[in-house]
Amino acid sequence: MSLLFNIVISVVLYVCFTSLNMDDVARTLLQRTLRKIPTRKLEETIKKWSHLSRRQQQSLNYTQSKWILLQKLVSFCEDNELTVRHVSELEMIYCMENPNLGTWKACHLTDAEDDATSLDLMCFKEQFKSHLAELTRNVSIKIKKHENETIWIRIAWGENFIKPNHLKPTYVVHDLQTPYVFICNLSSKNKPLLYQTLVLATKHGSIKDAHLSGRNLHAVRDLLMGNYHQTFPTNHQRPLEEMSPPPTHPNIENEHKEHAEKRQQVACEAFGEGKVPKLETATYTLETRFRGGGSIDTLVDGEKPFRTVVQFASTSLLESLHHCVSSGIADAPVSPLLSSITQKGRNYFVITDKADR
Amino acid sequence: MKLRTKMLKPFRKVPVLNAANVLLVENEEHLHSRLADIIVQNEKDVNITVRLARKLPLPVENQDSRPRIDLVVFIVNLMSERSVQSAEQSVRYLDSGFFLGKVCFLVTGARCLSVSSTRLLTVRKMASSLHCPLLFAEDQTSEGVIAAAVRLLGILKVAAGLVPFATGLSLNSVTHCILPSDLEQNLDSPTC
Repeated sequence: MSLLFNIVISVVLYVCFTSLNMDDVARTLLQRTLRKIPTRKLEETIKKWSHLSRRQQQSLNYTQSKWILLQKLVSFCEDNELTVRHVSELEMIYCMENPNLGTWKACHLTDAEDDATSLDLMCFKEQFKSHLAELTRNVSIKIKKHENETIWIRIAWGENFIKPNHLKPTYVVHDLQTPYVFICNLSSKNKPLLYQTLVLATKHGSIKDAHLSGRNLHAVRDLLMGNYHQTFPTNHQRPLEEMSPPPTHPNIENEHKEHAEKRQQVACEAFGEGKVPKLETATYTLETRFRGGGSIDTLVDGEKPFRTVVQFASTSLLESLHHCVSSGIADAPVSPLLSSITQKGRNYFVITDKADR
Repeated sequence: MKLRTKMLKPFRKVPVLNAANVLLVENEEHLHSRLADIIVQNEKDVNITVRLARKLPLPVENQDSRPRIDLVVFIVNLMSERSVQSAEQSVRYLDSGFFLGKVCFLVTGARCLSVSSTRLLTVRKMASSLHCPLLFAEDQTSEGVIAAAVRLLGILKVAAGLVPFATGLSLNSVTHCILPSDLEQNLDSPTC
């Protein structure tokens, strides 16, 4: 009896969720998406979306207040009978153009199989969709190609009796033939599902966290792929015309000129020069023991590890560190803790005591 | 012995006719090149040389090319503790002959309220104990930098002996920093 009751309840629940008007979800998503897009970018985005007719597009007046514009757009979409699929496409277009709206986490694919390098877009698309569909039900996937080889994937997660939640989608960016994947807005519950799908679809053995995250997708990618102006350490002084600062008055002379030039060079070697990738934070988790003067008794307490988190934050962290070193605020031989941000392409480090290893 | 070779001496070199040389010492290197440009451009009659340094002692290898220094200016930025410490340490490498009217302190960032007043007191105490003038400068505006440069230029000309009937020592005796007695008490007992 109770079993029957249970079944009845679940059927009722299922009906409840499926009977939700499709347009409601689509309308909420549309309104949310449109509200996110600033007015000056709206025209361009709508044009790219191409789900409004030319006449509808021409009748829109972008100098009007956003609220009126929004009303008009929603009514047009209702006239065209657009569904969630179309609306999520709009969100995806906006996200692809402005990838700096969330925190991107980098993942590293390892143990590539032999045919991993010959993977093409169609094959990847098919594999990804079928593998993810096997692992979970009610998931909505959208895959688009952007700029030469970059693949953008939008995943709206659902559960057995729950429709995909389009309001909190996960974005995945992957360049074919590279071992890196960038993920934005992924909950820990769906993490194993996505990781497994990615490993299978890209024909790799395993995937691990690259300990690098940032708001700027391009910066995170450039840093991992070494796609910025790097300076490699040499024993030779660089040619004079390259190093010399703008000419000053002949009567002004700097006593520490050589020292300053050397610091500049060290800074360039550690953090790159010119336009460096814009990272926002670097986090160090310390699990070390406190050593030093015995004046602070509470800290020297026994053998317990001393746990702390040190975080450096800046609008452009690498530039700030570069300036610190080149202006002499930080010591000239750069600490490997700082220089390994660029060398290892990470911005999260766990430092443990040597004795614990 | 080692300290003696690193010491900067005022009378090691012979003076050159119609010339004045100033040494600007600043750990941060924000202001000194701007000041140097204005000092050099503002003076047309006298040959003025500016040497820039982060701290003392100065590198030994530049000793031969370095002219006789007529005025040493320590630029202290109150926003940074390191700047104050660096000035305190650099002062030790000056020969006592400099303190007869050839040293002054230039403080920036004193307008900022968030800066702790103890730093300013430290610099004041240092300047008054060494009998040196303490100047205040505004480094955020170009007018402030120009005003500071013009003031330094005036002191430099006197210190270099280019102004008739005035010596660095006589100027120093009227402009040197005096710590008011109530401030001194405050510094000694921070609780009151």
